[in-house]
Amino acid sequence: MAKEKIDKRYVNKAHIHVFDVVLIIFFIILSLILIVPMWKVLVDSFDLHTSYGMQLLPSEFGFAGYIQIFTNQTLYRPLMISFFTTIVGTCIALILSTLGGYVLIQYDMPGRNFCANYLLFTMIFNGGMIPTYLVLRAVGLTNTIWVVILFPALNVYNLVLMRNFFEGIPASLFEAAKLDGCSPMGTFIRIVLPLSKAALASIGLMYAVSYWNDYTHYKLYITNSNLYNFQMKLRGMVQGSEMPNVSGNLTENTLQNAAIVIAILPFMILYPFLQKYFVQGVNVGAVKE
Amino acid sequence: MKKEKVELTAEEKAKKKEKTKAAIYTHRGFYVMFLPVFIFALVFCYAPMVGVLLAFTNYNGIKAITPEIFVGLENFQKMFKMSAFWTAFKNTLQISVIKLILTTGFAVIISILLNEIISLKFKKVVQTIIYLPHFMSWVVVASLFSLILAPTSNGLVNSFLVQIGVLDSGSMIYFLGSNKWWRPVYYIVNLWKETGWQTVIFMATLSGLNTDMYEAAGIDGANRAQKMWYITFPALANTILTVLILNLAKIMNLFESVFVMQNDAVLSTSNVLETYIYYQSFNSGSIPNYGYTAAVGLFKSVVGAILVLSCNALSKKVRDGRGIV
Amino acid sequence: MFNDISRRDFLKGMVVSGAAVGSAGLLSACGSSSSSSSTSTSSDSTSTDSTESSITKPDTITVMVDGTVFTEANGREEFWNKCEELTGIHYEVTQPDHDAYYDVVGQTIATGDWPDVIILSATYYVSYANEGVLWDMTDAYESSALKERIDAAGSTSAVEGMYINGRLYGMPVTRGNGCITYIKQAWLDACGLDAPTNYEEYLDMLTAFTGDGTYGVSAAGFIGSDSPYVNYLPEFYQDAWPSFYQKDDGTWADGFEEDSMKEALQRIADAYASGVIDPTTLTNGTKDCRNKFYSEEFGVFTYWAGTWSTNLTNNLVNNGVDGELLALPPIDEVPYYWDRLPIPWCITSTCSNPEGVFEYFVSAMLDAGDVELLFTYGVEGVHWSTAAETLYEGTDSEVSYEEGEFHMLDNLETPGTQYTKAHIDPMLALVAIEDDPGADTIAEGARTAQQTFNENSKTVAIVPATDEYSEYNGSLVTTKNELIANVAIGEMTVDEAYTEYAKEAQAWSQLIVDSLNA
Repeated sequence: MAKEKIDKRYVNKAHIHVFDVVLIIFFIILSLILIVPMWKVLVDSFDLHTSYGMQLLPSEFGFAGYIQIFTNQTLYRPLMISFFTTIVGTCIALILSTLGGYVLIQYDMPGRNFCANYLLFTMIFNGGMIPTYLVLRAVGLTNTIWVVILFPALNVYNLVLMRNFFEGIPASLFEAAKLDGCSPMGTFIRIVLPLSKAALASIGLMYAVSYWNDYTHYKLYITNSNLYNFQMKLRGMVQGSEMPNVSGNLTENTLQNAAIVIAILPFMILYPFLQKYFVQGVNVGAVKE
Repeated sequence: MKKEKVELTAEEKAKKKEKTKAAIYTHRGFYVMFLPVFIFALVFCYAPMVGVLLAFTNYNGIKAITPEIFVGLENFQKMFKMSAFWTAFKNTLQISVIKLILTTGFAVIISILLNEIISLKFKKVVQTIIYLPHFMSWVVVASLFSLILAPTSNGLVNSFLVQIGVLDSGSMIYFLGSNKWWRPVYYIVNLWKETGWQTVIFMATLSGLNTDMYEAAGIDGANRAQKMWYITFPALANTILTVLILNLAKIMNLFESVFVMQNDAVLSTSNVLETYIYYQSFNSGSIPNYGYTAAVGLFKSVVGAILVLSCNALSKKVRDGRGIV
Repeated sequence: MFNDISRRDFLKGMVVSGAAVGSAGLLSACGSSSSSSSTSTSSDSTSTDSTESSITKPDTITVMVDGTVFTEANGREEFWNKCEELTGIHYEVTQPDHDAYYDVVGQTIATGDWPDVIILSATYYVSYANEGVLWDMTDAYESSALKERIDAAGSTSAVEGMYINGRLYGMPVTRGNGCITYIKQAWLDACGLDAPTNYEEYLDMLTAFTGDGTYGVSAAGFIGSDSPYVNYLPEFYQDAWPSFYQKDDGTWADGFEEDSMKEALQRIADAYASGVIDPTTLTNGTKDCRNKFYSEEFGVFTYWAGTWSTNLTNNLVNNGVDGELLALPPIDEVPYYWDRLPIPWCITSTCSNPEGVFEYFVSAMLDAGDVELLFTYGVEGVHWSTAAETLYEGTDSEVSYEEGEFHMLDNLETPGTQYTKAHIDPMLALVAIEDDPGADTIAEGARTAQQTFNENSKTVAIVPATDEYSEYNGSLVTTKNELIANVAIGEMTVDEAYTEYAKEAQAWSQLIVDSLNA
C-alpha cells in the first residue's frame, strides 16, 4: 500500500478501515455485474461455433471474425466511413458550439437575447421526420455523406454547455485582449480556445460518440448503401435482416460479435487519454458555481 | 423596463439609437461569427417546422397537398379518442421521469462511494469499467439482456434464482414478457448502461472539492458516513439540480431504448409516444396517415415545449436568474 | 397519350404543393427526377398507340430494387451492364440496403422523385396502386406475348393473384413462396417417430423433442405483423386467419373474430404452457431462432421453402451436427401452407414510356432466354461459369467441375461460398428457362421442400386499401398482436382477450369491414 498513489485525504491514516474493504468488494461485484453481459460478446467473437447460450470460454477459439472484418470490403469500407464522419463531424460540431457559445456570452451585444431565444426555440420544436427529409433533400444533402456530418452538427444542448464554460473565463482576460487590439475572432482564437482545451475535449468526445454510434440519420437520409457506416452494418447483422455470407467454418454469430467489439474499441482506447481533460471539462462546463 | 422607455425624450431616444448603432458596429465581428450557427439552425431546425401543417391534413405521403386534404382538427379528435394514445402518453411521462430519477440517483450514490475509494488506481479501473456499457448500441444491449433474462436454462438470472432456491425450475420468470416485470427490468438495464456515464459529471464536481473540509470534519470527530452525508452530498446538490433540469427538457423523446426491449405482450406498460407513432405507421399493413402521426408529434412537441419553458423558469428561480440558455 | 401527359402534370403539381409545405427549394431537386427519367422517346410516343409494333424502346430506365438483385459488393455493375447489353437500354439503379428498403421507398414516393420501375412488396403494391402511383399495366399485359408464355407455363394463377379490382399494376416474375415446416430427421430417428400426419401426432412429436434445455418448436414471435401472419406456427393456427379475408360469397370478414381463431389461440396457449414451444418465442428474432436451431435447441422449424432448406442444412453441418431435414407436408388440420403474394415489378405513373418499359424490360425478365438467364443466375464469368475448375466449399470440401459443366461461382463478398441464384429463383420462376443450364444444380433437399410446398400452398388474397383500412388497421393489428401474445404466454385467457378486444378494437374492425364491403 505504501508505494501506491492514494487519495490525499487519507495520507495520515494509519490503517485501512473495514469500510474500505467493504467498498472494494462492492465495486468488484459491481464491475463483475457490468462485465458479464459484455463478456458474452467478447467470448463469442473468438468462438468459431454458434452457441446461443452463455459460456465462459470459446468452444473453438479463432480470430477469423476479426480477420474477416478487415478483409471483407463490405465491412471495411463502412468502418472507414465511420472514422471519416466522426472526425470531420466532430470538428464541425465543435466549431459551431464554440462560435455560438462565445457569441452568447456577449451580454452587451444588441440582439444577444434574440440569438439565445432563436436557439432555445429549436430545443422546443422540431418539424418531424418527413418535413425534415424534404428540406434536406431540397438542399441536396440526402444521399451524400455530408448529411450525416452537417445535420447533427448543431447541438444546442452542447452549445449551452460550452457557453457555461466560457462564462468561467475571467472577464479581465477579454478586456486585456480588447486593449491589445484583438478582434473578436482574434480573441476567440488566441484567448478562448486555448483556455478551453478541457471543454473541447469533453464536448468533443460527446460529439464523437454520437457520430460514431449514429444510426438514425443514416437510416433516414441515406439510401446508397455505399455510404453506410459501421453501425448501420452492425444493426443489420444484429437484427438478422442482413448478413454477409460467412465463409469457411465461421458462423454468422462470430462475425457479428467481432463487429460489436470493433465498434466499442476506439473509445476504449481513446477514453483513458481524454479522461483527464474530460473530467475537468464537464466540471467547468455544466456546473458553474 | 417598458415604463422607462416611455419616459424617454426624443433626444434621449436618438442618443440611445446612436449608442445601439455604435454597439452593433463594435460587435460586428460577433454577428459574423454567429452567422454559421444562424444558418444551420435556419436550415435544419426552422425550415422543417413548416411541416407541423401536416398535422391538419390527411396526407399519406402520396396524395397531393391540396386544400381538400386539410382536415382541421380531425386528427387531434381521433388522437384524443384513442385509449392507446393516452396509455402511451402516460407511459412516456412515467417511464422517463422514473428513469431520470433512478439513473441520476444511482449515479450520485456511486459517485459518492467512488469518491471514498482510497486506491486511485483501483478507482480508475472501476471508473473505466462502469463507463464501457455506454458505448454499446441499444440493439446489442437488448439482445444481450433478452438472453440473460430468458426463462430457460440459458438465462443467467433465472438459473441463478433457481439455484439459490427462490424459484423452482418450472416457474421461471419471463421478465421481458411480463407486464409486471418489464418496467423494473427496463430501469435496471438503463442503470446498467448509463449510470457509469452519468457519474462522470458528479465525479468532476467532487474532484474540485476542497479536502480541508474533510480534515476539519475529521478533527471534529465526524465518521465516514457523516462526512459523506454532510460534506460530499451537499457539494453535489447544485450539479444534481442542473442535471435534472437539463434532462427534464428531453423526456418526451424516449424511443430507442424502449423500442428495442419491448414486444407485443407488454405494450400496455411499455408503449410510449414515439413507439406508438412507429406502430401506427408500420403495423398498418398499408401506407400510414402522416397527418395523424404528425398530429401526435405536434402534441409531443407542445408538451415538450411546456416542459422546457417551465424548466427554464425553474432554472432561473433556483440559479439566480440564469435560464437554460 | 394526352391523358398521360395531364396526369404527369398533375403529379408534378402535387410535388410543387408538397414542396410548399416542406420548403421552397424542393422544386429544383424534383426537376432532376423528370429529366433523368424522361427519355428522348417521350415526344415520339405521343403519336403512337398501344399496338405492339409501335412501342418505342426507352433509352434509359431508372430502377429501384431491393437486396434481391445483386448488391454492389456482389457485382451489381457487371449485372446491369450485361442487362444493358442484352436489352439495349441503359439502367440507372438505386439499391437501398435490404432492411431499409421500404423506409427509402416511402420517402422516395412521398417526395415525388419517382423511379420508372420499382420493386414493391404486396402492401406497398396495393396502397400505391390505390393512390395512382403505379401505371395500370392490365392492357399491356393482356395483349402481350408474355401472357401467352405464362399461361403456357401454367403460372396464370400467380399473376391473377395480383389483380386489384380487375386491374393489374405490377408484374411478378416468380411465385411468392412461403414457409414450410422442417423437422430434424436425426431427432425423429432418435425418438423412433415417423413424420406426423395430424395435430395429435405433431404434438406427440413436440413433446418427445422437449427435454432438458430443448423444446419442440421455436418461432420469432407468435404472430407476424405482415401477411401471411400465421407463417411460423401453421400447425397451431390451422384454418384460423387473424385478419381480413373474403368469404366465398364475396363479402369481407375479420377472421380474428371467428371461433377458429379462438381455438387456435387456445392451442398455442396450451402448447406453450406445456413447454413444447420455445419459452422465449415472444422475444426471439429470426436470427435467434436460426442460431438456436443450429445449436440443437429445438427440432421443428417452420421456415422458407426451397433454397433456405439447403441453407439451414449447410449451417447445421458447419456447426457439426446432422443436417438432414424433413420437409413436412401439411398435417391433416392444416388446409395448406400460405404462399405470400409475389413481389411485383411495378412501373410508376410518372414513367414517360410505360409501354416501352413493360415490353422491353419487364417482359424481358421472363423471356425464357438470355435476359431471364441473367436474372436467374447472373453474369457468366462473374456469378456462374461452365469452365473446368475447382471451387472450395467451406474449408474442407472442394468440388471440381469439368469443362462445360454449369456451376455457380464464388461469392464475391465472401470467397469460399458460392452463389445460389440471382433475382429469380429457378424453382419459383413463372416461366421456365428453355434449356436451363442450371437445372441439375438445385440441391435435392431444396427441390423436395419446394415441390412439397408448391403442391400444398395457397396464395393469400389481396386486401384492397380503403381509407378506413389505412386509418385504423395500424391500431387494430397492434391490439390483436398484443392480445395474441398475452394469451400465448398465459397472461390472459382467450375469453379475457376477446372481452378486451370488444372494448375498442372491434369497432375499428367493423369500420374496415364495412368499408371493404361498401
